[in-house]
Amino acid sequence: MSDLKQIPIHAEGDAGGDPKSEGLFTRVFDELKAFCRSRSLFMLHYCTGCGAIELPPAMTSRFDMERLGIQPMVTPRQADILLVTGYVSIKTLKRIILTYEQMGGPKYVIGICSCTVNGGMYWQSYATAKVLNEYLPVDLYIAGCMPRPEAVITGMRQLMENIRTGKADNWKDYYRRYDHYLGNQQQLFGERWQTPTDVIGEADHYGLAGPETTGPHTALLQQHQVPLQPLEMRLGSRQERKP
Amino acid sequence: MSRQSLAPQLEFLLQEIEGIRIRRKGPRRVRVDLAAETLPALLELLKGRAGYVHLSAITCVDWMEQEEFELVYHLWSYETRVLVMAHIRLPRDPGVYLSVYDLFKPAAFFERDIHEMFGLYFEGSPDMGKFILTEWEGPPPMRKDFDGEAWVMDHFNWQAYHPDWLKEIEAQGGGITTRPEDVRR
Repeated sequence: MSDLKQIPIHAEGDAGGDPKSEGLFTRVFDELKAFCRSRSLFMLHYCTGCGAIELPPAMTSRFDMERLGIQPMVTPRQADILLVTGYVSIKTLKRIILTYEQMGGPKYVIGICSCTVNGGMYWQSYATAKVLNEYLPVDLYIAGCMPRPEAVITGMRQLMENIRTGKADNWKDYYRRYDHYLGNQQQLFGERWQTPTDVIGEADHYGLAGPETTGPHTALLQQHQVPLQPLEMRLGSRQERKP
Repeated sequence: MSRQSLAPQLEFLLQEIEGIRIRRKGPRRVRVDLAAETLPALLELLKGRAGYVHLSAITCVDWMEQEEFELVYHLWSYETRVLVMAHIRLPRDPGVYLSVYDLFKPAAFFERDIHEMFGLYFEGSPDMGKFILTEWEGPPPMRKDFDGEAWVMDHFNWQAYHPDWLKEIEAQGGGITTRPEDVRR
């Protein structure tokens, strides 16, 4: 119960007050909400490395992940969990960040395998990104090369417990300290790096924009950021189109 | 044409090229060492008159101490079922060679890959642009003088093996049982 105090509760006319004074109903409802949220998780079925091979046995009849309320989902906009299973090459990391930013909050990142922790057996490779939580806020690491389905299930149960008790809120960290994450991304991808997502605008929307959301790196981003343009659609063959 | 009848004929054909050295590595493997200038003639001869229509790979080896690149052209004949490996040596600097794209179309991909990984330029190849390492700005990474470990140490950070959150897990009976420093001694 003590962790529930840390969850910001926005009640009419009593913003930021003592949670105990807000009445029993608010707290019971929040507890119920967190419980339901932890028992209905869609994980994004975008598997990045060799650890993905442990997920089919975790999903199918022997370990049956669905009994925990976890199901694969194909699109990032409907998913809650982003699984990063295994080594992350720098080219893949760009796509992972694009995918992560498309997911709606609250969203959780799980790093599976040793490669996401410190590069694993590819620690000497020039192409493998080493520490995943420098570029994305990772909620949970499941280490091992590769972790067995039991370990994956244990990690998932730990994440469910963290969501229920309100500990798994690292996705807010991405908005609060966006400048830090963007700086690490720029160090790897170059100063011209940009995503189509307006993260600072989203941080304002969630009310999470803090002193570390903007900084020198976001200033650099704003110098060259091109706003997202709708794609022009036209019927006809490729030859008819004029550039 | 049976399998036995073509093999002596092939060796007779190969004798036409000067400075060639043929070694049988096995019943179906022939190693051919020759000068770089005569390789196109060899490939044309093998393709045109001996049925070696399949260039299965081009391999590059970096001999840094001898200042040379070695290129190996692997050719396969579906009729005789013999693999011919043609080895040539090139000076490492400036590292330029002729493309064999006009003889074997798949060579375009092998040459583009070798150009990207070793920095060896093939004249006459249709495309020498970026292939797999589309976002790579550093030196060609398969060259022996590219120190990958130094590059990694220079560009990446590491996280501690014994962070605070692991101590919680160790209190529950989990965590690392063998310390990394014990293993690497």
